[in-house]
Amino acid sequence: MAFFAISCTKPYNPKVITTASNYLVVEGTINTGGDSTTILLSRTVPLNSNLTTVPELGAVITIQSNQNQSYNLVEKGNGVYASAALTLPATAQYRLSIVTTDGKTYLSNYVTPIVTPPIDSIGFTEISNKQEGSGLQIYVNTHDPNNNTHYYRWDYNETWIFNARYASFYITNGTSIISRPAAQQIYQCWGNSISTNIELGSSAKLTQDVIYQSPLVFIPSTSEKIETRYSILVKQYALSADAYNYFSILKQNTEELGSIFDTQPAKLTGNVHCTTNSTLPVIGYISAGTVQQKRVYINNSQLPNNWIATYPYDCEPDTALYKYPEPGGLYLNQVAIFLIPLTSTVIITTAITPPGAMTPSGYQYVDPQCGDCSIRGTTTQPAFWQ
Amino acid sequence: MKKLYFTIIFLFITRLLLAQNTTGKTVSVNFNQASIDIIVKELESQSGYHFYYDRTQFDSLKVTLQISDAPLERVLNMAFNNTNYHYAIVPANMQIFLTKGKIIHTQLAAGYFNSKGDIINQTPARGDFSMDKETPATEATTENKLYSIGIKTNNIEPGKAVLSGYVRDVKSGEAIVGASIFTTDAKTGVVSDQYGYFTITLPKGRQTLVVHGIGMKDTRRQLVLYSDGKLNIEMQELVYSLKEVKISADKVANVRSNEMGVNHLDIKSIKQIPAVFGEADVLRAVLTLPGVQSVGESTTGFNVRGGAADQNLILLNDATIYNPSHFFGFFSAFDPDMVKDVELYKSSIPERYGGRLASVLEVTDREGNKKNFTGSAGIGLLTSRINIEGPIIENKTSFILGARTSYSDWLLSALPQEYKNSEANFYDINLGISHQIDDKNNLYLTGYISHDGFKLNSDTTYKYGNKNANLKWKHNFSNKLFSVFLVGYDRYQYAVSSDQNPINGYNLNYNINQSNFKTDFTYYLNQKNTLDFGVSSIYYKLHPGNFEPYNNQSLVAPQIVPAEQALESALYFGDKYDITPDFTIDVGVRYSIYNYLGAQTVDYYAPNLPKTSANVVDSVTYGKNKIIKTYTKPEIRASARYNLNDDMSLKASYNTLTQYIHLLSNTTAISPTDIYKLSDPNIKPQSGDQVSLGLYRNAQANTIEMSVEVYYKRIWDYLDYRDGATLLLNDHIEQDVINTNGKAYGVEMLLKKTEGKLNGWVSYTYSRTFLKQDDPNAGELINNGNYYPANYDKPNDFNFTGNYRFTHRYSVSLNVVYSTGRPITLPIAKYVYDGAERVYYSDRNEYRIPDYFRTDFSVNIEGNHKVHQRFHNSWSVGVYNLTGRANAYSTYFTEQGGAINGYQLSIFAKPIPFINYNIRF
Repeated sequence: MAFFAISCTKPYNPKVITTASNYLVVEGTINTGGDSTTILLSRTVPLNSNLTTVPELGAVITIQSNQNQSYNLVEKGNGVYASAALTLPATAQYRLSIVTTDGKTYLSNYVTPIVTPPIDSIGFTEISNKQEGSGLQIYVNTHDPNNNTHYYRWDYNETWIFNARYASFYITNGTSIISRPAAQQIYQCWGNSISTNIELGSSAKLTQDVIYQSPLVFIPSTSEKIETRYSILVKQYALSADAYNYFSILKQNTEELGSIFDTQPAKLTGNVHCTTNSTLPVIGYISAGTVQQKRVYINNSQLPNNWIATYPYDCEPDTALYKYPEPGGLYLNQVAIFLIPLTSTVIITTAITPPGAMTPSGYQYVDPQCGDCSIRGTTTQPAFWQ
Repeated sequence: MKKLYFTIIFLFITRLLLAQNTTGKTVSVNFNQASIDIIVKELESQSGYHFYYDRTQFDSLKVTLQISDAPLERVLNMAFNNTNYHYAIVPANMQIFLTKGKIIHTQLAAGYFNSKGDIINQTPARGDFSMDKETPATEATTENKLYSIGIKTNNIEPGKAVLSGYVRDVKSGEAIVGASIFTTDAKTGVVSDQYGYFTITLPKGRQTLVVHGIGMKDTRRQLVLYSDGKLNIEMQELVYSLKEVKISADKVANVRSNEMGVNHLDIKSIKQIPAVFGEADVLRAVLTLPGVQSVGESTTGFNVRGGAADQNLILLNDATIYNPSHFFGFFSAFDPDMVKDVELYKSSIPERYGGRLASVLEVTDREGNKKNFTGSAGIGLLTSRINIEGPIIENKTSFILGARTSYSDWLLSALPQEYKNSEANFYDINLGISHQIDDKNNLYLTGYISHDGFKLNSDTTYKYGNKNANLKWKHNFSNKLFSVFLVGYDRYQYAVSSDQNPINGYNLNYNINQSNFKTDFTYYLNQKNTLDFGVSSIYYKLHPGNFEPYNNQSLVAPQIVPAEQALESALYFGDKYDITPDFTIDVGVRYSIYNYLGAQTVDYYAPNLPKTSANVVDSVTYGKNKIIKTYTKPEIRASARYNLNDDMSLKASYNTLTQYIHLLSNTTAISPTDIYKLSDPNIKPQSGDQVSLGLYRNAQANTIEMSVEVYYKRIWDYLDYRDGATLLLNDHIEQDVINTNGKAYGVEMLLKKTEGKLNGWVSYTYSRTFLKQDDPNAGELINNGNYYPANYDKPNDFNFTGNYRFTHRYSVSLNVVYSTGRPITLPIAKYVYDGAERVYYSDRNEYRIPDYFRTDFSVNIEGNHKVHQRFHNSWSVGVYNLTGRANAYSTYFTEQGGAINGYQLSIFAKPIPFINYNIRF
């Protein structure tokens, strides 16, 4: 009745916050374990900006050790800078030096590389009492036999096979409708997404350095991610206590607000500083160490039978006929108008062939989001896929 | 009977003659404390005259007189000298009429034949009462009776005498707190204390006292004061309980009392304020007072004059309540059916209180009915409550028991999505036993237990509760010196447990225990000086966190943060000195001594360096009860009042305060799992001072009260935490906290109408509160060490609380609140990090959420007003947030699916109807 829904959350857009800002954002980990180090440089943008980020181009980045070694990174474009595969001595400490095109120099603090223990397993449990309904909770298990790591961060990359709502068997070549070649199939695709939440784990309060079933991602039972086959690649980073603190504040500041007992947003202080102008805020925390990764697959057959994926769009096929009866005994060639032109975006699914007829009298078609999986994924099987 | 008496007078009045020297009789008498019957018998037998009198009017007359062969008139003159008794002689009939108060004129009153009524009206009224002669203190139950106080003499020596006694409810025998007792000329007045006790110094002789009490019928007492003595005054309750909105017990107190920045709310006015779920809420009523603010709706933590929420000393019957809220703060911990009244000290904090910087909120429960068994019950949407009270030994011992419980799970389904699958419940129980040992000794035993449990849509269960018990012994050494001794025990505890992940399952227990001893003395030195002095001591024992595995599957390492102990003692002395009737000062000093005690291991840090583990230079382990660190601090409590005229006064006060226990919270609202920390060698006590000045004026026969107060306040060493600090289970909390200094100033205006069909109050406050961190050793400074507005800095604050009574049964209440939105920290830039958009925050509290506005409305319906019925019932129906404005409780920017969006969370975003039913029996 009237008592329900007494509290509410609604969008809030404060009056223009005028402070102009373009602070440098440094993201990445110095990889000491025989792999290349990738650093992402970008600039902050005002909150009301349509852009989400501005990549920082033309910077010079080097990894410096406190034993006077230095390794250059090469600009890969779009703010990405990468080094060659490096195996760096674990006895030294490392930092990042960045010189931007505006002449400012940025340095991160020296950090000791941390060896990341391997991921023990990635598992999943079926959960039925979540507020979102039932679904799949994917978790990670790890431990450090030396009881030395304690702080962990994960990110992940998900890949899954999904189908369009309707299979397309026909395509236009501009003059007529022909069978769709196998190379142009758009029914089965691989979807992909990367983690957008910061996943952290700590065993600091435990007697052993064990992370048991730390949740990574929850997939609702209705998600098409798990309608056929799903894979997740989890990367594990061991963190120092300082770095863990940085990431937990970052997580708190942006992911865990909006409850009644909110913590205050905290000012985030990373370990990168501008040496040219020490009052200039810099965003980012650079740590160093090895990275561990593990990929697992989950087939739909492993999951409960009653979990049915919900297609994300409403789809209803339409019909186009060669001879659509019009008033006055005339006919309209809907196929020629709607389906044959190369500019047509609709997807032809099946042919309508009246009983006894040799040629179709028309075709069924759907909108692209219902017949073309490639608008949300790729039809090419990823190289790693098994 | 009365009429018959009037008729007799009327019949004889026409035949009265001049009284003097008309009898020609002489008599010899030897009276020693003789009553009227003895006197009359003696005089009748000697003179042959017949006396007419009303025995009850003369029951307080005692005559000591020795005389021989004197004329009858002279004997009568001497016997009645200095009294209010008169005689009239009618020699023709050998009759003598004795009267009280009114002289019987021996001639017709002017215009008698035209207006008979005048004479009837002027005839002394006669009350029907019976007097208990065994009671040492005169029981004053009738207004027109003349009470004799002290050892009666027919000659009253000039001078002053002290009158003391209790003001009680005639029906329940309960003490009436804050009743004002003053002489008709309003030159002298006092207010009854929390036990209903009063002491007043008056000139000897004939006096009339006027007594006002909250929700009580005004009454007056006529007395003849011979010497020091006692007078107990019983007052009658106003039958229609919802009628009165009297905020202050003392109509003249606004202007006359020495205290400033004190607000008094009685439960009747609290109950008239429309409440969110229909249940009267003590703390929400306090929030309507000027100078009191809160960070939002789902918190009952409150901020007084720029103080933090933990800087309020919240006392329930002298027991310290650490967490005054239930159910996410939607309810306060005080059962409205138990509470008698609430007093909030904002600026002149009496020297008997200490240990907190901002205010003292004193909540007093009722005493049980000493005469009859009664009770009440209330049914609301979320909670129900019941209380019963009655005598254990009639007129001596009584009890009162109240209990409240929630059935609130349906509400949670109405909360936002993220609170679905949550559970919450609470209960609280109050018990009060009072026992009158004898006239000079009273015992009071009070107990309070509260429990809250909730689970917010996760596997984590939270439980918290208060437990309090104390015993008070009130002893009157004499009329001038009385004392209260108190021993008590207070506990606040919470527990958090999680059992979903078998490896990480844990139990966390936290508790604060304090044992108190306190004695207060009040000594009425003379008419000009009232002394208050006493000692108090609190022994704290905190268990700052026991973290244990949930079961033996769990790998959680047990972690026990060592218990902390401390002793906080204080010695105080104060003198209220009436320099002239118009100029009073109240000067007090409280000397507080704080000892941080072992067993404990304390790290010492290199001076002038940030407190980090790298800078630990020494670590010392102290044995049990060893004094590790002592802080002492004299605190000054001074106030003065000058009467500009009868209706207007000017008051000023200066206070210094010290606080040894700190609340550490990194949430905006007080959360149940915030931790307390005792001052230790690394964490200094917080201190503050405040100067305030006020102008007070009463108008329209004291029914309109106006006041304006300005204040300026400074706060030192208030604890804030470093960004990202871990507060719970932190063995080295000094490394994560920073000392903050603050300043607050403001002006508060209050206009109150206490009587009439329309009553209520309007308040407006302009205030600012700023904090700053400029400790060079703190490391990262908030806002570069500049002043920033505190979370509860709301410059403009307007409040209207009003009640209009159509009839005795129907009234409507309206509550209007407006305030500036509280400060928040907003993101000013965004960027992509770790695959998602993130935000970069501004300086702390640089922006504000939208302004707050709310209107509440309720209709109160009383059942019929027959006094002698078995049940009295009442209804309260209303709407909270009438305009349905979605006031922002908080705003936040959060990343969902990789993009940043701003949201505004409103707790009560729609009009919320409520209904509440109460029954008294």
